[in-house]
Amino acid sequence: MTPGLLLATSACGILLSLTGAFRAPRWWLATSLVSTLTALAAAAWVLATGGAWEWRSAFLIGGEGVHLRLDGVSALFLALLAVVGGAGAAYSREYWADPAHPASARLGRWWWSTLLLCMGLLLLCSNGLHFLIAWELFALCAYFLITLDGQRREVRAAGWLYLAASHAGTLALFAFFSLLAARTGSWDLGPMREQANLAPLFWLALFGFGVKGGVFPLHIWLPSAHANAPSHVSAILSGVAIKMGIYGIVRFSGWLPVPPAAGWLVTTLGVVSAVLGVAFALGQHDLKRLLAYHSVENIGIILMGVGFAMVATAHGQAAWGALALAGGLLHVWNHGLFKSLLFLGAGSVLHATGTREMSRLGGLWRVMPWTASLFALGAAAISGLPPLNGFVSEWLVYLGMFDALNQPGAAVVVAIPAIVLLAMTGALALACFVKVCGVVFLGASRSPAAGHAHECGPWMRGPMLVLAAGCVAIGLAPFVFWPALHTAVAAWRGTWTDVPAPESLTTLGLFHVALAALAAVAAAWLWRRAHRGGWARAGTWDCGYAAPTARMQYTAGSFASIITEWFAWILRPERHAHRPEEAFPRRAAFEEHTPETVLERVIQPCARLVMWLSGGARRLQHGRTHAYILYLILGLAAVAVLTLAWGR
Amino acid sequence: MISILEFLARLAVWLVLAPLLPGIINKVKAWVAGRRGPPVLQLYYDLARLWRKGVVLSTLASPGFIAGPAVAWVAVLAAALLLPLGPLGTSLSFRGDVILLVYLLALARFCTAWAALETGSAFEGMGAAREVSYAVLAEAAVITAVLTLSLQTRSVSLSAMLAPSAGTGAVLLAVGLFTVLLAENCRVPFDDPNTHLELTMIHAVLVLDHSGPPLAAILHGAAMKLLLFSVLLVQAVLPVGELPLVAAAGALIGGVLVVTVAVGLVESFLARYAFRRVPLLLTTAFLLCVFALLIAWKGGAA
Repeated sequence: MTPGLLLATSACGILLSLTGAFRAPRWWLATSLVSTLTALAAAAWVLATGGAWEWRSAFLIGGEGVHLRLDGVSALFLALLAVVGGAGAAYSREYWADPAHPASARLGRWWWSTLLLCMGLLLLCSNGLHFLIAWELFALCAYFLITLDGQRREVRAAGWLYLAASHAGTLALFAFFSLLAARTGSWDLGPMREQANLAPLFWLALFGFGVKGGVFPLHIWLPSAHANAPSHVSAILSGVAIKMGIYGIVRFSGWLPVPPAAGWLVTTLGVVSAVLGVAFALGQHDLKRLLAYHSVENIGIILMGVGFAMVATAHGQAAWGALALAGGLLHVWNHGLFKSLLFLGAGSVLHATGTREMSRLGGLWRVMPWTASLFALGAAAISGLPPLNGFVSEWLVYLGMFDALNQPGAAVVVAIPAIVLLAMTGALALACFVKVCGVVFLGASRSPAAGHAHECGPWMRGPMLVLAAGCVAIGLAPFVFWPALHTAVAAWRGTWTDVPAPESLTTLGLFHVALAALAAVAAAWLWRRAHRGGWARAGTWDCGYAAPTARMQYTAGSFASIITEWFAWILRPERHAHRPEEAFPRRAAFEEHTPETVLERVIQPCARLVMWLSGGARRLQHGRTHAYILYLILGLAAVAVLTLAWGR
Repeated sequence: MISILEFLARLAVWLVLAPLLPGIINKVKAWVAGRRGPPVLQLYYDLARLWRKGVVLSTLASPGFIAGPAVAWVAVLAAALLLPLGPLGTSLSFRGDVILLVYLLALARFCTAWAALETGSAFEGMGAAREVSYAVLAEAAVITAVLTLSLQTRSVSLSAMLAPSAGTGAVLLAVGLFTVLLAENCRVPFDDPNTHLELTMIHAVLVLDHSGPPLAAILHGAAMKLLLFSVLLVQAVLPVGELPLVAAAGALIGGVLVVTVAVGLVESFLARYAFRRVPLLLTTAFLLCVFALLIAWKGGAA
């Protein structure tokens, strides 16, 4: 089977699934799964053999011949799309089931299939016009999926914000592709690194794709959209959709020449996104909003890898550039896996308790042991802890940056702060996920809703298990996945084909296996030893206080308060406190909320200014016809004067 | 066969010698205060007794309450085994192992904080919050020290990085790393291992509800971590890897003893800082490491 045949099967499968979305959910699921599996096979074929698949047809769309191409870079993203797309489809069967959502469940299935189709086409298109069409369709599908639960006001608001931000980015991409076509004389895309006059176009691409990717100052749409979408949609948005922005940046920094400063800027954006993304995450009380900010953080880590690869290209040093890029691209996979896992876990919690508010949860491990342990695995992975996958990709990025450090050249200036801030990001992410796990799953339940929760069923558990298995597999056997990364790196930069695998990758994998085995043995041993004579159960020791209650537990806000205090200059937390007064205080309350600073302090004031100016201009339009005729005459006179004065 | 014996010897050093350090620190403190103090081997007696004891579990605790200390102990041991031991060298050395060491310590932190949050106690929540928050600054200082050594030796592997001395910036690096050692191992002025007022502590409050064998694992892991940081500090500063065998062994053992005694002296003469000042002190440690880094970077160029 060649990739062409597999992709055709996959396309047929997804088109067939569209027919079953409304009336035949089982048929829809079966065809979607077949489609994603064949797409995965096609991507694996390309990644394993290293050969690209290309197909040109005389069939015209918009006057342009269809040109599809699946090379290392696009296959890497297609594989992720297939895995998360399939897992989310299976998860939605129980999570967004027909009885609970009679109207939106069918629409959800329909839009899910179209979203997968459009993203697949986007990855395959090798024509600027078709790329734009697929991009716009994919953005619209995502909008309809986000607003599936359109009854709720905040969902509609999140949808609009997403749509507006997405189109601001698309506008830049329209300019990018039109200018590209104008300068090259063709819409066809492909490597064109020798045409130096194309370099400035990269800034447009960086803005357009950066909005979709959620790079720090452009991430304004991301938290509310991810938080308010149904959880399987949040998973694919965060796991795959924002990676399309990364795909664009990787794709066009590989095909087009880039300005000399581009590598530095991308790295800086990555560092800023990583640190501030995790800082904002620490300030959140909403479970899914918190996970959304971690997407900003991880996009930052990916961009650090990609940015360093661009710097390496400018310096002509393949060795460490390839390492950093491989780390960044592996982090694309890893973040796709563990963030989807975490969103699906958050979905299970939401499904079982009906709330995303962490301060109302707690003690869920007792009723949801599967969700709790899988979420914990995802949390350890996203914190970059060995022996899981997050560490492997961060390790590769670190290696690339350390090698840059030890080469002569200007890269040192960026490598030093980048390494220190990457380490701090890791420690901050760890703090944040300890907080999430502790507050949501451990301790005592803080509200009746958390007490009456239930474990999710097999259709929700299965996809989570698959994603978790992916996290463990990449962590324990990273060398198995190196050829795929090598193919992608070689597709990015044709001259980097002879970059060897870092020899220590195998050692790291074996170390991880030994560590995991030893940890399991030690835990079992300690368990047996402690359980020897049976254990006594007693209430938690609260320093002599006789009647501790669940409300006395540490909350998410108090846990993060030390760190949010350090970042108060940008988080700008809003606090409302009623202090207890008098000898017998009636009531006391404390409330803290971390707003989306960039949106509320920068974008919204700007928008208000624009509205104010437009309000002034709107006075011209008042509905009085004679005044409009006066405008016409004045306009004509002005044109006449212009023509007579400067016409020749 | 030789390599297996050597590995076992290395394991024995870490497992058997580690609990000696807290004993020495306590002896130094007692000596300064003019007391006789507990025996140097006190921690061994404590560990043996705890290992034989039963366990009282909080009604809220999940299996993670027992698994957490076990995984944390394994993580610290694994990190320790990555570290070269002067003349013994290292049993496993590869490019990038130093990053693995830093992240293994993070894994231990994750598991300890997880186990602390199991009980739903406000005190343990406080301790866990402080632990993970201050670790952000400590980690920045450690990675800066790693950067310094890497710049100096043009290597990303512990055995090569730790072999020569830290050069001109050695004193700065030593003070910076020593401060991090105090912070990461719950010593004065960051934490007071002797107080029994739970509100004032970081690390010790994390383990309030642990008892029996899990507590033994935690205490032993803490001792190993102290030894790990001392060995790291000594090898970063002294050219242990370049000395002849006997001198290297002497330098390593002597250096670790000096560090241990210094910890005891700091503990005797300093009071615990207010929590507000802890970040300040850790930032100072970070800055010291940054200056060492600048010396290594610009000094190398000049």
